[in-house]
Formats: sequence, C-alpha cells, structure tokens
Amino acid sequence: MTALLRVENLTRRYGALRAVSDLSFEVERGQITGFVGPNGAGKTTTMRIASTLDVPDEGDIFVDGVSVLVEPRLARLRIGYMADQFQPYANLDVLQYLDFFARAYGLKGEQRRSTVASVAEFCGLGDFAGRPASALSKGMGQRLHLAKTLLHDPALLILDEPASGLDPRARIEFRDLLKKLAAGGKGILISSHILPELGEMCDAVVVIEKGQRVVAGAIAEIQREAQLEQAVVARVVGDASALARFLQTQAMVRDVVEDGARVRFAYVGDDEDLVGILADCVQQGHKILEFTPASADLEDIFLKTTKGRLQ
Amino acid sequence: MSSVDISEPQGAAPRGPSSEAGGLSDALNPILVREVQQAVKGRVLQLAIFIALVASVVIASSVASDAAGLAAGRGAFEAGLATLVPLLLFVIPMQAYSSMRAELKGGVVEQLLLSRLGPGRVVSGKLQAAMVQFLLYVSLLSPLLATSYLLRGVDLLTISVSLFFALIACVTVTVFAISSAAQAVVPALQPIANLGMAFGLGLTTLGVTGAVLSGGYSEAMSSMLRSREVWTVVSGATLGSVITITLSWLIARSYLLHTFEDKSSGFRIFLWTSPVLVYGWMLGFVESRDWHDAFPLLTFGLLLAAIIFGVFMATEQRDLSPRVRNHAPTGRMSLIVAVPLLPGRDRGMLCFTMFVALLFGLAATFWPSPTESTYDVADFVYRLGLTTVAYGFVYLLIGRWLRAWFPETVKGSQAARVALPLFLFFCIVVPLLIDGFSGGRVSGWHLGHVLNPFWTMERFCLGMNPARWEAAEPFVITSLAVGALAQAPIWVRGVREVARAARARRSA
Repeated sequence: MTALLRVENLTRRYGALRAVSDLSFEVERGQITGFVGPNGAGKTTTMRIASTLDVPDEGDIFVDGVSVLVEPRLARLRIGYMADQFQPYANLDVLQYLDFFARAYGLKGEQRRSTVASVAEFCGLGDFAGRPASALSKGMGQRLHLAKTLLHDPALLILDEPASGLDPRARIEFRDLLKKLAAGGKGILISSHILPELGEMCDAVVVIEKGQRVVAGAIAEIQREAQLEQAVVARVVGDASALARFLQTQAMVRDVVEDGARVRFAYVGDDEDLVGILADCVQQGHKILEFTPASADLEDIFLKTTKGRLQ
Repeated sequence: MSSVDISEPQGAAPRGPSSEAGGLSDALNPILVREVQQAVKGRVLQLAIFIALVASVVIASSVASDAAGLAAGRGAFEAGLATLVPLLLFVIPMQAYSSMRAELKGGVVEQLLLSRLGPGRVVSGKLQAAMVQFLLYVSLLSPLLATSYLLRGVDLLTISVSLFFALIACVTVTVFAISSAAQAVVPALQPIANLGMAFGLGLTTLGVTGAVLSGGYSEAMSSMLRSREVWTVVSGATLGSVITITLSWLIARSYLLHTFEDKSSGFRIFLWTSPVLVYGWMLGFVESRDWHDAFPLLTFGLLLAAIIFGVFMATEQRDLSPRVRNHAPTGRMSLIVAVPLLPGRDRGMLCFTMFVALLFGLAATFWPSPTESTYDVADFVYRLGLTTVAYGFVYLLIGRWLRAWFPETVKGSQAARVALPLFLFFCIVVPLLIDGFSGGRVSGWHLGHVLNPFWTMERFCLGMNPARWEAAEPFVITSLAVGALAQAPIWVRGVREVARAARARRSA
C-alpha cells in the first residue's frame, strides 16, 4: 500500500536561502507523525507545500498518490490543513461558521447539515453551537478550527502548532481527539514545540534541521538506531540498595540512582535485552514490584539529533 | 465522515429549510450566505435601515405639507435619491471593503482557497452580498420614488434610468473598494489605506449628493433623456462600468491568488476581448454617421489600454512558475493559442505585439477615408497612434530591461513597475535640466528630447504643420518596425519555454 503522504526530494528556496533541501519522508494511514525541528528549520514551508499553499522549486509531494504540484485541486480534497492561527469571523455562531465552510467545500443539503452537526459533536462543540465563534476560548477555538478542517473528511490532516497556547486540559482533550482520528484511519502530520506531548501521541517522527531531514521513522526504532539511553524505573519491596548494586554490574545499564524504594537507571539496548535484565533481577531474588521503561522521549531524540544550527 | 466514527447526534442538527428553499440555498455563493448572516447580526445594516426609514418619513411629511404638485414630486425624487446616494456609494462599498480586509486577516483567505471557493468566487460573493443590500435600500426608498412619480414631478423613464445608473455606480464603486482592499497588503499602511478609502468614498458621495440636491442631476438627466444620444450615453456608461468591474474583479482575484498561480492570463484574455466589447458597442449604439470619428478614437483608446497592460506584462517574472508549468497545454493547437496568454514577460511582449498587430489589421481594413475638413480626427489619430505605438515598443523594451535588474519575485515585478515611470520622468526632466544649465533656458525641442513622448508628439503629431509630420513619419515607422522585430528572440524564448513544459508533460 502506498504511503498517504510522500514527500520526495523537496527543495524550496527563497532567494539565496534554501528553506527546505532535498527533504524526503512518508506518513502512513492511521499514523500520527510528529514534525519536529528548531525554529526556521523548514517545517511550516514543508507543510504549506503539502497543503498546496506553496510550490517547491524541486521535488514533489504526493497525497494519496496525487501530486500537490500537478493536481492541487484534487490534492486539496484529501488534505485538511490547520494553520497555526485561527481567525473567526465576527457575527457568526459556531454552527454558522461550520456551515459556511461546509458550503465552501461543496457539501449540499441534508449532507451538509448532518456533517456540520456530527463534526461539531465529535469535536465537543455541541453545547456551543449557538455561541459566537469569536467569543470562544482558545481551546474551544482550536476545536472549532479542527472541526472546520474535518468537514470534507480529508484523509490527511496537516496541523501546524495546533496546541500552542492551550491550557493543559485543552491540550489533553485535543490530543485525545487526534488519537481518535488516527484510530479512524486518518494520517496526521503535526508540528509542535511541546515535545513531551508529541512523544505521547506520535507513532513516528520526522526531525529536520536547516531544511534537511535529520532522522525519520518510528520513535522506538530511532531511539534504538541512535543508541539513545532509555530511562527505566524499578520499584522494589525490600532492599533497593542491593538492586542498585546489581544493576551497576550490568553492561547496558548506566547512571543508577537509588531513590527510596525506587531505583532509576539509564539503559541502552532493545526491549529484548531489557526483558533479560528484569529476568536476571528476579532470578537474583530482588522483589520487583514495578519495572517501567519510560515512554519514548522525543526531547532526547531532538537534542541528540539536532545541533541547534539556525539558518 | 466515512473513515472516522462521527455519527450524527440526535437532535443536534441545525433546523434546515424546506427542500426547495434548501436547493436554492445550496446554489448560492457561500460568501453571499455568510455575508448576509453577518450583516443581519451586525449593527451597520440596522443603523442604515433606520436612517433610510427616518429619511423617508421626514421627506414624505415635508412633501405632504407642500401643496405644489410638480415641485413637490421632483423634490421628493431628489430627496429620495439624495438619501439613497450615501447608502449606495458609501455604506455598501465601505462594508465590502471592510469585509475583504477581514478576509485577509490572519490567513483566513488561505483557508478559503483550500476549499472549492476560488478567489474569483470570493470576490463575486462579496459583490452579490453588496447587491442584496442595494435591493434592500432601494426597496426601502421605493415608496418615496413611487410618490414622486404619482405627484407627476418625475416620469417613469427618469426614475428607471436613475435607478439603473445607481446600480452600475454602486457595483462599480463596490468592486473597486473590494479590489483596493485586496491590494492593501502591507499591514503597516492599513490605517492609511482605510482612511484613504473612507475619504475617497466620502468625497464621491458628497459630490453626487450635492449634484442631486442642487437640481443639477435632474436637469442633466432630463436633457440627456430628450437628446438622441440617450442610448449611446446609457450603453457607454454601462460598457465603462462593465470594463471597470471586470478589471477590478481581475485585480482583486490576482491579489488573492498565490504568487505561484497564474495571475496574468485573465488580464490577457480580457485585453483580447476588449475589441469585441468596444467595437460591438460602436456598431450597436453609435450612429453610423459618427463612425468616422468613433472608430479611430476607440482604436486609439484600445491602443492606450494595450500599452498599460503591456507595462504589466513586460515587467512580470520571466519564467513560468512550477504550478503553471505543470499545466501547460499539451496539444499543438491549444499550445499555439495559449502561448501569448500564459504568464511571463517574454510572452507578454509577444501578447502585446500580437494585439497591436490586430489593431493595425483592423485599422488597415476599416480606417475611414480622409475628409476635406481641416481638422480630420482620423488623420490626427493616425499620427498620434503610430507614434504612440512606437513609443510603446521602446518603453516596454526599456521596462523589460529594467525588470531584469530586480529579483525574480513579485516584489521585483512591482519594483520594475515603479522604476519604469521613474525612468520616463528622468527622460523628460534630465534633458530639460541640461538645457537649462547649459544654455540658461530651454530653447526648444531637439534630439535630446526624443525620449520625451509628450513633447515629441506635441511637436510632430499635434501641430498644424504637416511638414513636420512628413519629416518624422519615416523615423516613426522605422522605429516601430525595429521595436517590433527586436523582440523576435524574446518571443522565441517565450514560446520555447512553453513548448518545453508541454513536452515534459507529454513525456510524463
């Protein structure tokens, strides 16, 4: 099966500046892909090209096999682009706002009315239907922005900094919405500077710097390939010091810290090796109550793979 | 929402209209629907309706207290029209202007362009919304206009023609306002642009209202309706309005389009359509005995329009954008037709030259024979037209040369469009200054002023001395031929680029 989004050797210049340089990566259906890079790395440029709002100097982007360069109108039907800023219209309520965009996307009659209602409900806007769009909170505004993006049922969502400025609850709710959409089969390319959050929701990540791809793929694989340390916490019943001493003797374990009943350590290796370490601990008689590898840390990947070069 | 489970919630759907009304609603431009919804909730419309109603009541009361029939009828008509003018020439255009400005804020328009709404439909929707307001305001004041007719102060034709003029004036000014709003892209200059628009519309409104209230409008209208040129004037005004509306629409559309889209072809197609409109109007509405003067003058007007379009075409970016390149026509015939219409300054020069050739062909076929009159319009236009084309070629080639100094961006094109008039200004002023500094005064025309088209034409074409023109004519024709032929390599390059793009598409 072809990838939902295929970026092929993309290059975009602004005068002497190469904003994007020979960039290639893919986003699969049902996958949330984080698009990460320092400011000015070329993320927004790439997203705008993918959304048909800009054109590359070289290379192309294919959305579900459709070239954004050659067939922008067809590509737009497959794309939902959520820009980083949301500007609601004055004197329109939430449903009127959605109805307007549904009309703009060519939805007619009953189909339009039911789509507007269901999208509003899905995004949690049902209780706000009659409220002026310009009077919504930032969090509800982003939901409305997302709802507008979903009206024409795009296969691919391109979200540029959608969570910026949201409070923690709104961020969590927004993240849950995206997870639901991905579970429904939509591909999502999302850029954000809130890396821990991206790490929690993303299946894959593309890191770019100075317009070039630094690393791309599933987060766990990248971690393994980059030999990144993974933080692990073990909680024991009984002597934590004994466990700490034992762990210090293991080849792939570093930075062992005893913290009450917990022992934290950094570990380099794959999941198989980690299972082996746990088995050895149990065999040695340590009473392990909890043995938790910390979730993939996107910040680590970002810091290890980028050099902070600006252009 | 096929792929994600977003099932329709019970009772959450907004109440819809009946199926027939729904079908009609579906057919409407979404911008029109939204603008009407916004206007209904906004304050401006409510205030305007209130003012119109109060004015109606005041005028009606004043007429009722005045027993003089004819004078009262005419007074009611003028007062009604004077109330309508600010609504049509200020309120509606200003609302359309503000609405377009709001569309450009925060990237909203980009969100629209991602939908099925093209820039053209965005502009058309705003215009349609303005027309809804026009109908509303006219309906509000129609009892007053009907009263003026019943009091026998004004005839039905005057009312109808006045309303027609009001319509075309309102549409023209509104689309101009929309176009201006789309052009004001520098945020820092926005307050100045807003003020300028309000000031311009305000002055126009005051002028027209003054003309109506002073009785000047009614007198001019009455004498026009009695004259035999009434339909020439009405149709001429309509043609002028259609041209202004189309041009403003094209300008607004081009500013809403992204820089990599084809902004140019619409203007070029319009240029090629203009002879049909203009000569069609002449054939349909100008009496045949006036064609002797009308044809040369209209041809000269088209020539001037072509030069103005030429300045824009000659200062465009040179190459096709990647987007346009990927839509180059692949068929041989369509390629031949499309080449002069596609963007790029090389093809712009080709387009200009072909258009001038068309005008020359039409002129050679239909040019009126000379008359015995000492002041023959056709002869005058011949001299002026030939020289104007020669200068057109020279200055467009200079413009093209200047354009090459600027970066291949939209800003570069805009800079070249400023540089060309500046160059012309220097060509006029510098020789004058040299004359002034070297001889103490400007003694008269000499070869150093040859790049000053105004003085040169005044000396050789407008003067009553035929010997001067006879001496200049060979030079004018030679420079015209050289100016046209010097472009041959430019045309070839323009055609080759499109042919290459077509080949690439065919092979892909």
